[in-house]
Amino acid sequence: MAYQLYRNTTLGNSLQESLDELIQTQQITPQLALQVLLQFDKAINTALANRVRNRVNFRGSLNTYRFCDNVWTFVLNDVEFREVTDLVKVDKVKIVACDGKSESTQNKNDKWWVIK
Amino acid sequence: MLTNNTGPVAKLYLSIIYDVIESIRELFLDEGLEDRVLDDLKHLWESKMMQSKAMEDLRKNTINSSNFVLQLPANYTQTDQELGASVVIPASHSIHSFPMKNNSETLATFSLPAGLTYPVQIPAGVTLQTASGQLYKVNVPVVVTQAPAGQPPESKTTHKVTERREAAAPQSAAIPPNATHPQEAEPPSVPATAVTQPPHPKPTLPPGQESSLPQQPPVPAVEPSQRQGAHSPEPEVTLEENEPSPQPEPVSLRMTASPCSQMLDFQICTEEVLTHTAQLKNRDIDDILKEVIEEEREKAERARNRMPAKTDNQSEAVLGLDLDYNYSELSDIVQLDGPAGNSDIEEEEEVPLEENDFLGIINAEAVKALQEGDGSSDGNSISSTSDSEGADELANVEEEDPLNSGDDVIEQDIPDLFDTDNVIVCQYDKIHRSKNRWKFHLKDGVMCYGGRDYVFSKAVGEAEW
Repeated sequence: MAYQLYRNTTLGNSLQESLDELIQTQQITPQLALQVLLQFDKAINTALANRVRNRVNFRGSLNTYRFCDNVWTFVLNDVEFREVTDLVKVDKVKIVACDGKSESTQNKNDKWWVIK
Repeated sequence: MLTNNTGPVAKLYLSIIYDVIESIRELFLDEGLEDRVLDDLKHLWESKMMQSKAMEDLRKNTINSSNFVLQLPANYTQTDQELGASVVIPASHSIHSFPMKNNSETLATFSLPAGLTYPVQIPAGVTLQTASGQLYKVNVPVVVTQAPAGQPPESKTTHKVTERREAAAPQSAAIPPNATHPQEAEPPSVPATAVTQPPHPKPTLPPGQESSLPQQPPVPAVEPSQRQGAHSPEPEVTLEENEPSPQPEPVSLRMTASPCSQMLDFQICTEEVLTHTAQLKNRDIDDILKEVIEEEREKAERARNRMPAKTDNQSEAVLGLDLDYNYSELSDIVQLDGPAGNSDIEEEEEVPLEENDFLGIINAEAVKALQEGDGSSDGNSISSTSDSEGADELANVEEEDPLNSGDDVIEQDIPDLFDTDNVIVCQYDKIHRSKNRWKFHLKDGVMCYGGRDYVFSKAVGEAEW
């Protein structure tokens, strides 16, 4: 299973909204919608890992940091994002980052079940 | 260049959509669902993505992003472009068809093809055809303007033309030029892209109402309940060129979310009138209050002037009666403890207290005046001071009790701190800290700030805490 954190993106939110509309019109069931979202998680994780090849640098001031359940959450202020020559400045940005070394962080329990 | 909303990001998103749709096709078949449902999902998803600002550049830069095909009448010539707008007749096919919801409602969403610059002027007689073959005839000149930057997301549809389905006969379809203010966007529940058409269109409104529609000024406030209520019983508005409204210039579409603009506008107008009258009533109440207070003061002064000639009881009785009468008026008119409703008991408790205090002060002063047997000047001075003190005390009580704003505790720091539209969702390789210097090594991230999307495979950052 892949991380579900990408559901809170424009792409993910629009998919969830679309699924909600279909559920409201009873064209699909909520269980099917969940399956769709799981497929979305896989697809976006794969796409980001394989189809994106660019590097970004950024610098700013750290306002807050939080580490809970192996998830880092930062709030930075006055951040500059730089890629090659472009520069984008943002007053405030929130970074939510899951552990990139272990993709199955969400399913630790499942792992134990497999071992057993 | 940042991989933002130009080709790479848009292509990535479209490829993800394609992958997801293909991967769930079997799921849908296993559920016994038709392909139509899957297509609906795809169209919904794509339309939402296209309409979001994240894909804004895609719409601008991509040539084949037309969602509808303009079919112009035979007598349409390019000379119409001299009017100042650039109208391009795209020859490309439309990508998106428009989903049908149980055959009862239609999401009619148009987005202008790339290459068109705003404002776009669509002359009269233009027929718009969607990919599914639905025809929308523009019967009056329409200017599609783009909302200025900074509009809320719900108001991103300013560049979309919402039109009604054409009836079987080649009658003119309705174009609802919404005079609503673009910043007073529709409620969040309404999709930013689509406008639901009525399942049962009502008869055409009388021309009198129609003519007033284009001339209505932008409405400052729109209640969501009214909009939602206006969606279902939408009348079919027919605007004809021979309307009595003398409007030579084209109608400007600001918000195209609600087709039921006429009824909505009328409701809004009535609401405005009601609020205005309410304000007038409040002002009247304030005036009445002032008058009553002034009358009381005058009566108190007269009573003090008469005090040496009258007994104490009679003066107190006169004062008490007068004051009681005035305070009864006050209690009927003024709600001293603020607008919040269920405080009748408090009112009753407060008013007698204030009344008693006020009476106590005046009576005490009156007694002193009688005992001391001062002249009229002193009596007046005492009465004036007592009056002012009483009025001040009354005002202070009014100010302190109803509001108690000092007791409010607002804790908005923490939620606001983490509530931002600029979000990066990613994975971390390594997070390092040395004293107060932090270093971030991130990967596979999707960034969204300013409503636009960016992606990266690697991100390295530094920050000082």
